[in-house]
Amino acid sequence: MAHAHGFGHNSPGGLLRYPEKPPFPLKEYSAHYDHIFEMMEELEAKGEILIHRITEEHQPVEVFTRTGRIKLIPTNKLWHHKSCGQCGNIPGYPASIFWFMNKFGLDYLNEPHQTSCTAWNYHGSGTSNPVALAAVWLRNMHQAWKTGYYPLIHCGTSFGSYKETREQLIMNKELRDAVKPILRKLGRLVDIGDGKERIVIPQEVVHYSEWVHAMRYKIKELYEKEGKAKGIDVSNVRVAIHNACHTYKMIADDYPYDPEVFNGQRPAASTAVVKALGAQVVDYSTWFDCCGFGFRHILTEREFTRSFAIQRKLKVIYEEVKADLIVTHDTGCTTTFEKNQWIGKAHGMYYPVAVMSDVMFAALACGAHPFKVVQLYWNCSDYERLLEKMGISNWRELRKEWEDTVKYIAELEKAGKYDELMEFFKEYDLYEPYSRTSTGKPKASATANMPLFKS
Amino acid sequence: MDGHPYGYNLPISEKTKAVPWEEKVRIVEEVKSDFRFKEYIFGCLNCGVCTASCPSNRFFDYSPREIVQRFLEEDVEVLYDMMHEYIWACSQCFTCWIRCPFVNNPGGLVAIMREVAVRNAFEATKDLLKPYGRVLLKVMTTGNQLSADMLQPDFFPDWGPKMADNMENLRAKRLAIPFDVGKSVKTAWEVSLETAIEMYTIWRETGIFEMLEKLDPNLYNVIMDIVEENEERYEELYEEEE
Ligand code: SF4
Ligand code: SF4
Repeated sequence: MAHAHGFGHNSPGGLLRYPEKPPFPLKEYSAHYDHIFEMMEELEAKGEILIHRITEEHQPVEVFTRTGRIKLIPTNKLWHHKSCGQCGNIPGYPASIFWFMNKFGLDYLNEPHQTSCTAWNYHGSGTSNPVALAAVWLRNMHQAWKTGYYPLIHCGTSFGSYKETREQLIMNKELRDAVKPILRKLGRLVDIGDGKERIVIPQEVVHYSEWVHAMRYKIKELYEKEGKAKGIDVSNVRVAIHNACHTYKMIADDYPYDPEVFNGQRPAASTAVVKALGAQVVDYSTWFDCCGFGFRHILTEREFTRSFAIQRKLKVIYEEVKADLIVTHDTGCTTTFEKNQWIGKAHGMYYPVAVMSDVMFAALACGAHPFKVVQLYWNCSDYERLLEKMGISNWRELRKEWEDTVKYIAELEKAGKYDELMEFFKEYDLYEPYSRTSTGKPKASATANMPLFKS
Repeated sequence: MDGHPYGYNLPISEKTKAVPWEEKVRIVEEVKSDFRFKEYIFGCLNCGVCTASCPSNRFFDYSPREIVQRFLEEDVEVLYDMMHEYIWACSQCFTCWIRCPFVNNPGGLVAIMREVAVRNAFEATKDLLKPYGRVLLKVMTTGNQLSADMLQPDFFPDWGPKMADNMENLRAKRLAIPFDVGKSVKTAWEVSLETAIEMYTIWRETGIFEMLEKLDPNLYNVIMDIVEENEERYEELYEEEE
């Protein structure tokens, strides 16, 4: 490997690597967490695990973690591990990710043979346990490995939980021993011909925001080429960054830091792409605070979520830095900030500011349709002024275009004209030819018998 | 004893006082025997950095420092009492974890305590999680915690008038996403049946169904009806294939 003599201890198998010199001032030089990569190599040699490796076909990009470790971010041939909160509540979030995948002509797999991580539920209600969480994770990871595509985790909580689960698995034989019989039942252990049953563990747990970070200069190129051609200009947009707790506070030593972003003293993802696009990153005093989501709280302890979001974040961002936009990189924070603004009017605490994730803002900048792709109609924040400021002044027409499409689809469906609908989608859908929806047709959907949610 | 000389501001509840000492010890020991416990607590300076940066501390009578201190003092009475309502204030943000000079993880301790509280079906926990039942139903049967149809505007009047607009023609709106995402209204995506069947095996093998049965028998029955129906459907499809 290129950096044979890094400042830290490099592992014999090459999974743990450091650059020649620390890339930025470091808090500590020998992070406890980093040793798990060496331990993974040892466990693989013993036949306990099989490491799903990042190879050339994944077109990896090197980034640094908080400890200065080199983390490989795969950028191609990705297995999309979707987020239930994003697909359910922020549809423009995954749609923007897939829009970029298609724009860049990348190979990816988007299949139904996956569950959520179920960690939101765990953090909200305690109704799970580490063995169950590990089994769910490993089942999903085995599925990705089986397809040959590398897992890209959309949700910040899934990412944080998976990082923690991996550390627990590597450090604790008792957890590995507890989860193996379950995986055996599921046919999710791998025998490479030596009679040993291996658990599949990915080389790196990778969040989509790390992918955006790794792709930021390509995104910038697309903005220069296509966004600017449409009259879009983000140079005057004032952006407050909110980093998600589960990406950088959970297993803090496994998330990108970069000399270009506060000299490596703050998480780099999201800030770096906003800077690459040439927008203005504005700093505010409560940047380190969480959003107030609280997992359980957003659903059943709402006054807390609302109070925290308004008083500790929205008010501060509005008064201190007058941001046009809060850029997030996770599911819960995005929802918390965009949904809890209007209610502030009741107490004279209305601090309007647009809210969206890094990838949604980047897609807008690169010329994606604000409603068809970025799905902003779903967003309860004050995004219209942002669109104007970005130079997307035809947003009303674009919205009308979207609404007409929805109406057309609704009418065809109501009239039972399914053939016409299918014809329409053939032209309309953007996911061909790059995305393959699945490795195999599902036998059926688990959703079929679910009752519709009634209030 | 009312309150605690070192700062646990809440009076020890009558219910806690009435519980036999051995039972309280058993519960606290269950927390301490979790394999994560030794990875979440190393010592404590009593510096309060965790509490100072804790979001829940700002709005609730709740302090992560207090939890860590009680464990180090082996204060069974207070710990047992905390496990009923106190710990549910935590937002699980793990700000305490990244900031603690000892690398303690008070949020992680809370996760273990909650799990033990659920497993032992504490009454307070049952009440607290009642409104959460719909989420549990969804995640246990489909593997998705959230879906578009859960965001009924009358659940969330505080989210403003835009929410009501969003729900109009919901299905058509989802079909109009030009990618294969968010198309399903009842789940976040169409989870394949075979995947859900694997997940049910995980729930069975790891005691999650059992845990739910103790927590909320009615909810458990509804969940099991769906699970069994899906398992039958799967069997039929499998037989057809053969
Ligand atoms: S994880 Fe819980 S205890 Fe720790 S800072 Fe967050 S809310 Fe406070
Ligand atoms: S930050 Fe750590 S050392 Fe300080 S009071 Fe909290 S748990 Fe104790």
